[in-house]
Amino acid sequence: MKKILVFLAVLIFTGNAWAEELNVGQIVAKANNRSYYQGKDGRAKANMMVTDAQGRSRQRQLTILKLNIKEGSDQRYYVYFHKPNDVKGMSYIVWKHSGKDDDRWLYLPAMDLVRRIAASDKRSSFAGTTFLYEDISGRSIDLDAHELLAGSDPAFYTIKNTPKDAGVVEFSYYTVSIDKNNFVPMKAEYFDKSGKLYRSIEALEVKEIQGYPTVTKMKATDLNANSSTITEFGDIQYDLGLSNDIFTERFLRTPPQQWLKE
Amino acid sequence: MKRAFLIATAVIFLIVPPAQALELPQWHGFIEQDFGGRLNQDSLTKHKNYNLLEQRVQLKTRYAIPGENILSAWNGVFSYKGDFVLDEYFQTTGSYEVRELNLAFSPASFMDIKAGRQVLTWGTGDYLFINDLFPKDYVSFYIGRDDEYLKKPSDALRLSLYPEIVNIDFVLIPVFTPNTIPDGQRVSFFDSFEGGIAGLNSDRNAVKPAHQARNIQYALRLYRTFGSTEGAFYYYRGFDPSPRSYLDEANRQLFYERLDVYGASLRGPFLGGIGNAEMGYYRSSQDSQGDNRLIENSALKWLLGYEKDLGHDLKVGVQYLYEQKLNYSKYREALLSQDYYWDESRHLLTQRLTKLYKNQTVMLGLFNFWSPSNKEGYLRLSCAYDLTDQWKLTVGFNLPWGEDNLTDFGMMKENKNAFMRLRYSF
Repeated sequence: MKKILVFLAVLIFTGNAWAEELNVGQIVAKANNRSYYQGKDGRAKANMMVTDAQGRSRQRQLTILKLNIKEGSDQRYYVYFHKPNDVKGMSYIVWKHSGKDDDRWLYLPAMDLVRRIAASDKRSSFAGTTFLYEDISGRSIDLDAHELLAGSDPAFYTIKNTPKDAGVVEFSYYTVSIDKNNFVPMKAEYFDKSGKLYRSIEALEVKEIQGYPTVTKMKATDLNANSSTITEFGDIQYDLGLSNDIFTERFLRTPPQQWLKE
Repeated sequence: MKRAFLIATAVIFLIVPPAQALELPQWHGFIEQDFGGRLNQDSLTKHKNYNLLEQRVQLKTRYAIPGENILSAWNGVFSYKGDFVLDEYFQTTGSYEVRELNLAFSPASFMDIKAGRQVLTWGTGDYLFINDLFPKDYVSFYIGRDDEYLKKPSDALRLSLYPEIVNIDFVLIPVFTPNTIPDGQRVSFFDSFEGGIAGLNSDRNAVKPAHQARNIQYALRLYRTFGSTEGAFYYYRGFDPSPRSYLDEANRQLFYERLDVYGASLRGPFLGGIGNAEMGYYRSSQDSQGDNRLIENSALKWLLGYEKDLGHDLKVGVQYLYEQKLNYSKYREALLSQDYYWDESRHLLTQRLTKLYKNQTVMLGLFNFWSPSNKEGYLRLSCAYDLTDQWKLTVGFNLPWGEDNLTDFGMMKENKNAFMRLRYSF
């Protein structure tokens, strides 16, 4: 009898929790899918402006094509560089895997060279910007322990993410503020081993595109280097019907014209 | 070249009605100043204090064929890239090098064609080539031009097929383009006719294969992925791109012996990095028994490589190349007493180190060749700085060395240089 009561109590308690609030794992999974897995596939043209401590700016312009293989884990990316001019025409593909290193190929058109890129460090700069590889293609949610904090703003979930393997990353933890309405992560703040805030990523603009809430402008700031990068996404389109073939050596050598408007 | 240009131009204008060609193609490229000073004087060559001094303007464009026509429907793209060079080393009035002039199109969903002048590369090596027999410019490599210039273009037809089972690349090269190798003008080298390191005094010449149907070269690659691992088979039928055989000793003539290469490669994730393995069997059909002292023997080449990302924008790579001449005893028996001769085998190790700084705007690069068997090596050091999105400054050193004068790098030891390139891209 006692057992049944306990069981009922547990059921009622957890049932209530489901009704009112998602658990932290569900929130993180929804936010992750919102950021990286919307639609079957997608395209965006990213214009990235890097500003360094001296106020000098550099521009990166690239088209990103994306195909979801398995929601929440495996994806393919195709990246084509439009600017700067010295790397124009360079392209690379990523086969993102969960649980093992991604496969990456880089194509250097001047030499007609397809190189395989050893890239186990996902926390290195993406194309010389303040964004990291992991910011662009996503950090696997399994790599961190997640904790729901009592945030100051009731419109947001505030999640504290602590790496399970602290040795391979430069942060001790990071917090993410997620919009409760649409699960778009609006701000991420990274804290170093001494607990000091040193890096942030902010969504500056969110638009609904083909029914998908999409971040169209974002900013990454490196407080130590006093540099930042603002990325604006244009020509965003979901569910284009991209095929697997695009993400192969064939289209590295012969960029898929129809998806790469200048 | 002129003929290829005319044909390509004619094709474009015949197929594309001018009225539709309203969207003008975009032009990009760079202007560059190059200088390479010698670290030791070499009075054998044309200028004893430097081996590189030139200005270069590169212009390139890609033009998707517009309108309602068959080439447009086939996603036709016209590509052009050419360099105008003022080479002050030779004090020329200027030369023009067309690096790309081709038309690429896809007549079927499983087929791509690229016809015209193009740069061709395949294989898994890093600065080491077993199954890539496409022409290279080793003089550019030694004097400090950009890596781009290591590869020379070919006038070729490339047909690529993508059936389910395996991808196929078939390349047909009607006219032979040899490697550019040291000839003593700019870079001194070992000339067996001179019996030592030679410069301007070298008067040997290499005879190219005649323009004949039987001299058309073919290159084939079959490749596919198995999960994350790539496998490939290669076949090449043509000529040794460097002149290693003697045609007429009295007239100091070399030639490019016929060469068939059969090869294979694997590349994929390995021990937290990328591993690659490649082999090639070089069949010298004009000396299949190996007993002709004047013609290069058949050979086997093996390559193992490994590259790893150590984090913090630091990458390391190592390679091991082993080459073995076949029928070596027959070759040795055939030699005359005064002949210079090749060793039976060669071991070559390479090390690469690449480190990026300052948000990846500064790149420090080290590439070292070292052959313990030949007691020679070649250290390449470079530092490239992206001053802005337009300006890039590259400085570096080319440091070949060796105990002997006959070996690949040993013969280059008087050509050590420090180079500088300043490029403005647009």
